[in-house]
Amino acid sequence: MKKLLTAIFAIASTTCALAQETPTSPLEISGSVDTYFKYDFAKQPNNILTSFASDHNSVSLGMIDLALKKKTGKASFVGELSFGPRGQTQSIPDAANGNSSFHIQNLYINYDFSDKFAMTAGYMGTFIGYEVISPVGNFNYSTSYLFTSGPFQNAGIKATYKFSDKVSLMAGLFNDWNVYSATRGVSSVGGQLMVAPVEGWTAYLNVLSGAGGGGYGTIEDLTTSYQITEKFKLGLNAANYDIDNDGGGYSGVALYPQYAVGSAVILGLRGEYFKTKDVGAVEGTKYTAVTLTANIKSGGLTFIPEVRLDHNGDKPFLKNNGLSAPNASQFSLAAVYAF
Amino acid sequence: MGNLLLMKKYLILVILLASFAKLSAQQKQLPLDDRGKYIYYEVVEAKAVSKDSLLERAGYFVNKFYNKSMKAESSTDSSILASGTLVIDKTLLVAGHPSGEVKYNFTVEMRSGKYRFWLTDFEYIPYQRDRYGNFVATTNIGTPLEKTPGKLNSGQWKDILGGVFVKATKFGEDFKKVLATSRSEKKKKQETISTKKW
Repeated sequence: MKKLLTAIFAIASTTCALAQETPTSPLEISGSVDTYFKYDFAKQPNNILTSFASDHNSVSLGMIDLALKKKTGKASFVGELSFGPRGQTQSIPDAANGNSSFHIQNLYINYDFSDKFAMTAGYMGTFIGYEVISPVGNFNYSTSYLFTSGPFQNAGIKATYKFSDKVSLMAGLFNDWNVYSATRGVSSVGGQLMVAPVEGWTAYLNVLSGAGGGGYGTIEDLTTSYQITEKFKLGLNAANYDIDNDGGGYSGVALYPQYAVGSAVILGLRGEYFKTKDVGAVEGTKYTAVTLTANIKSGGLTFIPEVRLDHNGDKPFLKNNGLSAPNASQFSLAAVYAF
Repeated sequence: MGNLLLMKKYLILVILLASFAKLSAQQKQLPLDDRGKYIYYEVVEAKAVSKDSLLERAGYFVNKFYNKSMKAESSTDSSILASGTLVIDKTLLVAGHPSGEVKYNFTVEMRSGKYRFWLTDFEYIPYQRDRYGNFVATTNIGTPLEKTPGKLNSGQWKDILGGVFVKATKFGEDFKKVLATSRSEKKKKQETISTKKW
């Protein structure tokens, strides 16, 4: 133990000494912990089939998420690991690998060739869509159909050029969706145009074409948010995914108005329309979903009470008695602590 | 047994140091000015330096030394106005991460043999971790530091006020250092040590 402590102090001293010689940032440590209770009003687990928060009438775990970041000169890395159902069994790569004990959220290296041009390689949160895996990055605790159906993460290499604070362009080559190593080679090409037309409004136009969910296809995505006033923010996500050879896909739009009713309380609504595409002779199906969410913040802690109502005329949901139903509803209360 | 005692001492020392550092940061806050706004204000004697030299050095500070976090708004023959941001950190014992940024307005005024400068109009913008693990601003609209938050976030606000004090003090030290240093002295070639004669 003495040796270990001495080693830690020695490493810390070396880091401080190096810090005086080269421009370097301290090691950043951050993360989050989340837990939730969900009650499906038809008492059916997995009635509303979006990602995470799947247990009914149970105080259940989300995940513990730990992230490290360091920048030395022009080079930096991010390593982010999560443990728990949200990042483990419910994440796609680990479910495919027999539910390993952790999930990599981000693992990449970045190099800033200049203030305007940077290259990044590794496994990264996807650039597609409005919502993310980490509960800290989302306003709503349950997730949209658009999020669940799109990519979660992309491994690859990308280059980003910043024309100004208002315009930047990213282009990259990626593996197929949600895999640590390619199963179909480096098979996708993707790009993102970021524009910030006015202060507080940012829009991302995204395209990803290649091997993805269900086959080879192309996804086009618009993700934007606008802080219109001090209290009111509006977000929008619209996407279209076409899988080659009539293999299906989806399209949809989600609107996210949010209003701060006090310094610690924000109310938000998510209204979503989502449609899966026809696969051959099998017709697609349409969902509408409305989610009313509050964020109550105290320091690093956020309480998230939420009510959600989903509708689909094809009756994919279940009633109390197990018969199919066109509607489903649920209540959830989540606690998310970010550090 | 000896190792355990040594380890205990190390841990107590680390905890005491961390607690002291946190308390020091929390207890110190910037004073308020006559408008009721937080302010970092200093008057500095510089009798050996002309007003023009001070102005040139202040311009270097704004446009070169701190150019990544501030920009000049206007200037006269005896003053510079600028605006900028200070990044506030959240410390977790030995490491941490940026928790937000504070926008400020900066003013420096010169007179013969002395100058004064101040930072004020502080507005806080919280950071949130994005999908790539980087901390970024959650909004473009800042909250004035003087605005009292609700009870739920008062502890966090005290930490932010402590963080602003630390960063504003560091800013002031950097500024005074630059204004005390002649630009021609800085350009002098670094002295070398000869090992041939001894």
